[in-house]
Amino acid sequence: MLQILIQGLLLSGLYALIAVGFTMIFSIGRVLNLSYGSSLMVGGYTYFYFSQTLGIPKLAGLAVAAVAGCLMGLLVFRLIVKTLEGSHVAIEISTLILAVVVQAAIVLLFGDSSKILLPIIPGVVWVSGAAVTYNILAAMLAGWAVLAGLHFYVRATHTGRAMSAVSMDLKGAAISGIEPDRINMITWGLSGALGAVAGVFFASYTQLSPSMWVAPLIISVAVVIVGGIGSIVGTLIVAHIIGFMEVIVTAWIAPELRGVFTMLLIICVLILRPQGLFGRAEL
Amino acid sequence: MAVRGRHLALWGLFMAGGLLLPLLVDTGIIGRGTLRTIIMANFLAIFAMSWDVLSGRTGYISFGHPFLIGIGAYTTAILTRRFDVAVEYSIPIAVLVTMIGGAVLFIPALRIRGSYFALVTLAFMELVYQLVQVIRPDLTGGTRGMSGIVTLTKGAVQGYYLSFTLMALLGFFLWLLMKTRLGTALSAIGMNEDSVAGSGLNTTRLKLVAFMLGAFAAGLGGAFYVHYLGSIAPRALFDINFVFTIIVAALIGGAATITGPIFGAFFLTFLLEYLRPVLPGAERYLIYGGIALLVYMYQPGGLHKILEVGLERLRKRANP
Repeated sequence: MLQILIQGLLLSGLYALIAVGFTMIFSIGRVLNLSYGSSLMVGGYTYFYFSQTLGIPKLAGLAVAAVAGCLMGLLVFRLIVKTLEGSHVAIEISTLILAVVVQAAIVLLFGDSSKILLPIIPGVVWVSGAAVTYNILAAMLAGWAVLAGLHFYVRATHTGRAMSAVSMDLKGAAISGIEPDRINMITWGLSGALGAVAGVFFASYTQLSPSMWVAPLIISVAVVIVGGIGSIVGTLIVAHIIGFMEVIVTAWIAPELRGVFTMLLIICVLILRPQGLFGRAEL
Repeated sequence: MAVRGRHLALWGLFMAGGLLLPLLVDTGIIGRGTLRTIIMANFLAIFAMSWDVLSGRTGYISFGHPFLIGIGAYTTAILTRRFDVAVEYSIPIAVLVTMIGGAVLFIPALRIRGSYFALVTLAFMELVYQLVQVIRPDLTGGTRGMSGIVTLTKGAVQGYYLSFTLMALLGFFLWLLMKTRLGTALSAIGMNEDSVAGSGLNTTRLKLVAFMLGAFAAGLGGAFYVHYLGSIAPRALFDINFVFTIIVAALIGGAATITGPIFGAFFLTFLLEYLRPVLPGAERYLIYGGIALLVYMYQPGGLHKILEVGLERLRKRANP
């Protein structure tokens, strides 16, 4: 029982970290960035290259990964989202194609086989018979820290409030003197950087492989749908619902079914309450 | 939108050309390998057309099209392999079951639109992918899938005739259907659903027809595909890369045109094939994806639209 609680908390923290970047983009532009999973992958591989191949310190490697993710976010915004402005379907499909292109690029650069990422913080602590690696503990703490920071940023700073203004009403925000383009750039850059950091933790939790972008994308999609847009607290709560559901299903029913209930949850929420559990009604 | 004699003549030419093509194999102009490539292109064209009817027109983007294809493929595979049902019965049953799947996919479309609908279809695909491996693996073959499924054809030439006939007939049928008022109404839903409803048309019924047609084509394609390959594996089928190939074929060719997806499927399959000697490794997919991205970003209407605009420009230059 305690074991489930611990495992659930750890996994949920990781999921919150993964989903937050995706939620930001979706809240601000109602755009599904299907290349978000690629940001995680780029982050993971950048960290792998700099930290494990070149051997620079781990924290510096994490910073380089964040910069790479930020750059990727900015490029996707400038080259794809800005060019196709207005057409959501076109943006979704272009980012899906981009995700496959990035996958091909990763195969080209690093090969097809999966790679093991050494834990960012090595070590294990035993809590009532459950092994808790410091690594996933760090991921959970990072997830909470990022969400708390973001919550504060959006509520208290000028730029953050401009972000939520843009997410509520683009025209109204523009009339009030906010430059939507600038806010969008900041959001995409931030989302890419957060995605890359999440990717490093996710990769050290599972492993690096050219197809690793699909699973985090689906988790992000689940969180954003069930939580609804425009709610950071909702993201945290839903990450815990999904995380705990997976852990409980794995422990009590069958490990192979862990994803099934998440999918059922997505489908049910979308059909019964399309605005999500914590989101604003606007559909 | 009217059907013109010119169009029918082009379809006739296309079908005649397709049916005469295997004669060239004997003369050695094209190899059996090329024929096999065309078979894959034919199946991709069927899937892309199915996607086009469901999503290309109505704007209800399906990211989970393998959900439908998989239902068709698995139904006939299980019926023939495990219950020894004859193919003559199993394929129609598979198509019917796929249409039920289409109705299931239709339920969320009653309430949600746009990006949300795209996501729920993705969830459907993942759901089936995971269920297939767990529920009754003795029937579905679990993670490893099934092999030794009855094949309908022997060799490349027979496979080519079957797949081409299926593709061309289905294409012609859908094309004709989309030339009617039904097709116009479906396109209008893609542009502005509320105003279609405001014009007094029953959009729910129209969407249901689109979903049923899409599911019909997907089930037919999936069933024949599995009887061509002789095997089925969940990882290859319910894969986001497979979704990518289908959607890109439909869009590169030109969505909402039926002929576009056929063209797109052939273009992409041959692009991949002709890049093989030049770039044998993973670079191929990079170039392939890059070309797809550029064409799509340059003209979301696809090659069909590019061709149309180009012809229009030539005509203007000829008689200004």
